[in-house]
Formats: sequence, structure tokens, C-alpha cells
Amino acid sequence: MENKKTVKVLIAKPGLDGHDRGAKVVAQALKEAGMEVVYSGLHRTIDQIVNIAVQEDVDVIGLSIMTGAHIPITQKLFQKIKQKGIVDKMVFVGGVIPSKDVPTLKELGVAGVFPGGTPLAETIQFLQSISKKG
Amino acid sequence: MELVKKILRGDEGSAARLISMIEEGLDEGYKAVSLLFPHTGKARIIGVTGAPGAGKSTIVDKLAVSYGRQGGKVGIIAVDPTSAKGSGAFLGDRVRMRNAEKVEGIFIRSMAHRGFPGGIAKATLGAAYVLDGLGKEVILVESVGAGQTEIQISMICDSVITVFTSDYGDEIQLMKAGLIEIGDIVVINKADRPGAIEAAKDIEFSLMSSKDQPWQIPVIAMEARKGKGVEDLMAVLELHHKHIKNDAQGNSKKREKMKHLVLALFKEDLWSSTLKKIQGKTAFEEVLQKAQNGTIDPYKAVQMVMDLALTKK
Repeated sequence: MENKKTVKVLIAKPGLDGHDRGAKVVAQALKEAGMEVVYSGLHRTIDQIVNIAVQEDVDVIGLSIMTGAHIPITQKLFQKIKQKGIVDKMVFVGGVIPSKDVPTLKELGVAGVFPGGTPLAETIQFLQSISKKG
Repeated sequence: MELVKKILRGDEGSAARLISMIEEGLDEGYKAVSLLFPHTGKARIIGVTGAPGAGKSTIVDKLAVSYGRQGGKVGIIAVDPTSAKGSGAFLGDRVRMRNAEKVEGIFIRSMAHRGFPGGIAKATLGAAYVLDGLGKEVILVESVGAGQTEIQISMICDSVITVFTSDYGDEIQLMKAGLIEIGDIVVINKADRPGAIEAAKDIEFSLMSSKDQPWQIPVIAMEARKGKGVEDLMAVLELHHKHIKNDAQGNSKKREKMKHLVLALFKEDLWSSTLKKIQGKTAFEEVLQKAQNGTIDPYKAVQMVMDLALTKK
């Protein structure tokens, strides 16, 4: 009945940091751009995040990380994604990410990196173009 | 169909996929539902409705934990509103369901209501069938929480809990047709707040008219966040469960609900398929423009649109 597939995004806060203002701002912006956004809440383990992604059948997983542990967290996420057989999910990362780490994250399989300060329109446009391809 | 077999074997990923297909209104999804349907009907569906911020998610969380402790397999469908300004939604109920997430084998699905009236999504019942097929024995459905008109939730649930707090308004609000007619059980949440006892009294008074009914709607005081009143609510749910089983009018009520539901779904499909048919047509756009320009009134516009929609081609 509906003409086009609605994009569903999980915005997740892994690990110990308690700063979710940025994650909420992104979530709000994606909502206003017409996407359905599931918000995980703070202090999530990778196991929990992957579980939520499975049950919610999201197209995209967005990690917001401010602890500096973005590389090991992302590594672990992709391990779990493979284990669970949900490799079709697209992953993007935001938060405090030094530009020198961007290539490493992309090598791990991250489709887009949006450090704090990235214009919201850029993130939205990226997600819209990626999800159209899929 | 492979997908249905996988769901019946308990595969979560397949269940999640099928729910998305139903949400998208895909023919394949509906075919799968038809195949799944004969395997359903075992689960008990409990709805939780009430105003935003009344504590619905927290109550769902506590109930899930309680049923989980009894060894029950629990599923949750949490419906949140789609933005009135577009197709987007912020689905935040999981944040308050962290205890439920720890329940062994629980499946939680958030869902945007996508404009469906009555406090649920068009796909909510379909999702309940999927969770039933997946082997869940208790399915908790949390409604959008828009207030007075959440009637549809009672059409798909066996028991409905209506959650109030002390700031629902006053007696006059209760006398208006609305929430209080939907539920089988009333909860006054945040019962430690001032005015809660008066609220409970007002609500009990407005429920007087159900005194001679076979099921008298009970009023339960709760402080859900602290877990107070959860046992009472569980006990009352058990009573209602028994009541439905033994209710002489139970079957006719169930038939009535199903009729209502089919009509509601029909209305939705008729509307969306008709709109698809006329959208973009010059005659339709002309009528819209006339209404926008103020040359005709909106009622007249609808008459003209109806003529367009009902004429063949």
C-alpha cells in the first residue's frame, strides 16, 4: 500500500559515557527528515545493541561514542553483526572522533563517520542516499 | 513459505522481518500472515493505554518482568506516534524497558503508528500474530498515548489497562466519552502524588454505571517506578483472564470486536487505495486548489472529490 520504504534507524549509545545530547539531536533531526528512529538509551553493551537491531529490524545502526574507545567498540560491533548474520545493516558513527581514525573505522566497515559539529543536513543526506541504494 | 516456518521454529530475525513487511503493507507480508494465522490464538494480549507520561512504558516493563518470573514467554509491541508533520517518528519506549529486556527470551518491538487511528498501528495486530507464532504466551501492547480516542487497542487485546495519574483533569473529563470506556482495569499511577486519592475516588464514582455489569472495572493504585502495586495489577489481570473465559457474552463480544477491526482496516485500505487512484489527476488538483483559494468550502470540496473517486476511471 505505502509507496516507499520508510528508513528505520537505531541510534545507540554504547559503553560508559553519559553524554546523549548529540545522539538525541541527531535522532530528532532524522525523525524530522521522515525516518523512524529507535533510541537505545545510555550505557548499552554491544550485545544489547545488536539484539535491538535484530528485533527492531532497522536498516541502519548509528553509534554515538564520546569515550575515545570508538575503534574497539566498532570492531566488536562488526564481530557481533557477523555472528548474528545481520550484515545487511548499515553502520555509521558519530561523537568525538579524531579525523586520523576515520580511515580505520571505514576499513572496519563503517559506511559514514560524522564527528560532532557535522552539519545535520549532511548526515541526513548520507542516510537517505545509502538507504535508497539498498 | 520459508519465513513462516522459521518463525514457528522460533527465529527472531524472521519474525522481525515479517513485522516490517506488514508495516510496509507488502502483499508477501499479508500472505505470510495468512499462513501463520492458523498457528495463532494461544497468546494472551494485554493492552496498556493512557495519556503521555502517565507511566505506560514503566508498567509494561514491570508486567514483563513479573510474567517472565512466572516462566512466561513475553513479547512487547510499543507503539509511538508518527510525526504529524511527516513520516518520521522517535521510538523511545525501549529506554524505559531495560528490566524487561533482561527477561529470558523476550522480544520487544517498537512501532510507529503511521497515521492509523485508535492508538495503535495498522500492523500492530499483525505483529501480535507474529509474536504469537514465535511462541510468546503473553503479549503486551503499549498504545500511542494520545488520550481519549484509543479505542482500537481494545479491539485487538483480551485485557486493557488504562493508566491515569492525578492530573487527568477533573470529574467532567471523566464524564466525557473516552479513555475510561476502553479499559477493563484502571490504574492510578504515581499514587504518592497529591491528589491521587481524590482522583481514584472520582474515577470510582464515574465507574458506578458499570456496577451491574458482569465485570466491574477495578481501580488499582500504583507507584510503578518503585514497583508498588504491580502484584495487585497482576492479580486483577488474572481475575480478568478468568472472567473472559467464563463470560457468557464473551464469544459475542469477541465477534463484535473482530467486526469492528475488519471495518477499521477496510476504512484504512479504502482511503489509501482511493487516494492513490486520484492523486495527481488534474480534476483532483483543481478541486484542492479551489478549496485552497477559498472559492469553495471544504465540505463542497469533499463532495467533488467523492464524485471523482467513485466514477470509474
